[in-house]
Amino acid sequence: MKHYKLFMLIIFIAALIITSTCSCPLILRENITVLRVSTTTSLYATGLLDMLADKFKEKHSNVVIQFIAVGSGEALKKAAMGDVDAVLVHAPSLERKYISEGTIGEGTIFAYNYFVIVGPKEDPAGVKCLSPEEAMVKIFNACEKGVAKFISRGDRSGTHVRELMLWDMVGLNPKGKTWYIETGSGMSETLMVANEYRAYTLSDIGTFLKFKNKLNELTVLVDRGDILINIYSGYVVLSSKNIGLAEEFIEFLVSSEAQEAIGNYGLEEYGQPLFYPIVGSNSTMIKNMWNVLSSESS
Amino acid sequence: MEFIFETSEIVLRSIFVSGLATILASAWSLPLAFLLLISESKIGRILQDIFNSLVSIPTVVLGLLLYLIFSRSGPLGVFSLLYTPCIISIGQAVLITPLMISFLTSSLGKVKETVWETAIALGASKFQASITVLKEGCVQLVRSILVGFNRAIGELGVALMVGGNIRGYTRVMTTAIALEVSKGNFDLAITLGVVLLITTLAITVMVRLLGAR
Repeated sequence: MKHYKLFMLIIFIAALIITSTCSCPLILRENITVLRVSTTTSLYATGLLDMLADKFKEKHSNVVIQFIAVGSGEALKKAAMGDVDAVLVHAPSLERKYISEGTIGEGTIFAYNYFVIVGPKEDPAGVKCLSPEEAMVKIFNACEKGVAKFISRGDRSGTHVRELMLWDMVGLNPKGKTWYIETGSGMSETLMVANEYRAYTLSDIGTFLKFKNKLNELTVLVDRGDILINIYSGYVVLSSKNIGLAEEFIEFLVSSEAQEAIGNYGLEEYGQPLFYPIVGSNSTMIKNMWNVLSSESS
Repeated sequence: MEFIFETSEIVLRSIFVSGLATILASAWSLPLAFLLLISESKIGRILQDIFNSLVSIPTVVLGLLLYLIFSRSGPLGVFSLLYTPCIISIGQAVLITPLMISFLTSSLGKVKETVWETAIALGASKFQASITVLKEGCVQLVRSILVGFNRAIGELGVALMVGGNIRGYTRVMTTAIALEVSKGNFDLAITLGVVLLITTLAITVMVRLLGAR
């Protein structure tokens, strides 16, 4: 019995030693600064951020930028939890909430593009080239008649927040309707669902262009209207330990070098840029739009 | 060329991270399972039931729990382990612990039934009888490690929640597949999926051959 206890003790000690030695090399950090940036999936999945990070690294060789690509809601939540140094998001009303809570500092708008209402090529609701507000009403009515469906992100991402705002603006509430399908997943997955169901959905233009060749049933129906502007802002997380570096990174995003790269990104592949740089655009108008969008309740 | 380099890096990282997770899990699962098996107390049996039911814990739930614990505002935030490969290993180790224990207690239980009484009857002490069970159940031990490893390397929720899928740092095969799907690169996602299957298959065959010898 004594031997048996001793045997167990030895095994436990061995287990402890193995555990600690194995985790040691991983815990010891290298002598480099790590900048963690939580970002919206629509920015990351296009590959733009990795390209920008590589440019940033050319000047800061001892910095490693780590992107964590999640929805805008989760990205800001991670900032509030203190797990990231900077955030890149596109949900003005959520951003304002976190600014007022003191989680993030004043924002820097670094790029924009447009949301588009996409739908089946046959367009059963007849919304082609209408204004976004009219289109939403028509889609609602068509869906009520049972000739169409609407796919929502349903994940508190920037796109979802904007979609809810559009419904709110026209005074309609699709929640709970059988034709209102919430996927709860990323933009690309949602577009694929819309393609399968031949349904309408709201998408950012970047993701749609990137996926276009897989979405045979869908086409862009509405792409005009100020309310569809999609503004990407960068924020420094105030509780961050690397606040100086985070500020430098956000400043880099509006430097002429980065802005030029943003404007040219995807131009060759898709025939049009995925994002528009803020420098050289009507920044006052965009800032005003941001103010309007951010004061809408979400 | 760069693509091949990045892919092989992801594959190697996956094997390393999940391998480390399996070593960690084995380090406490093997003795614990054995202890549960030898002890005939009520608590031991209750613990076995708990582990059996924890086998099916959803990986995202575990990932979320670990995230809340290891977040900078969480109780273990001071270690700043979040978004490192190390935390993925720890998470996966926790994930596969119930699986390994439940696998071991059931498979070693059978070995014990046949060997234990005989060894005691032949005059062996409890310690010697334990050694005999371990010797006879060597194949089961190896198989439990294998099962644990395969579960760890094929798991997505923990790696995504606490690893963060950071390129060149915490990106493993499953999170890379999820990302490539969301990027629309189905071809690359399928390629990685096939690599994942081949890796687990190769390791399965290898360990089976070892066990059979």
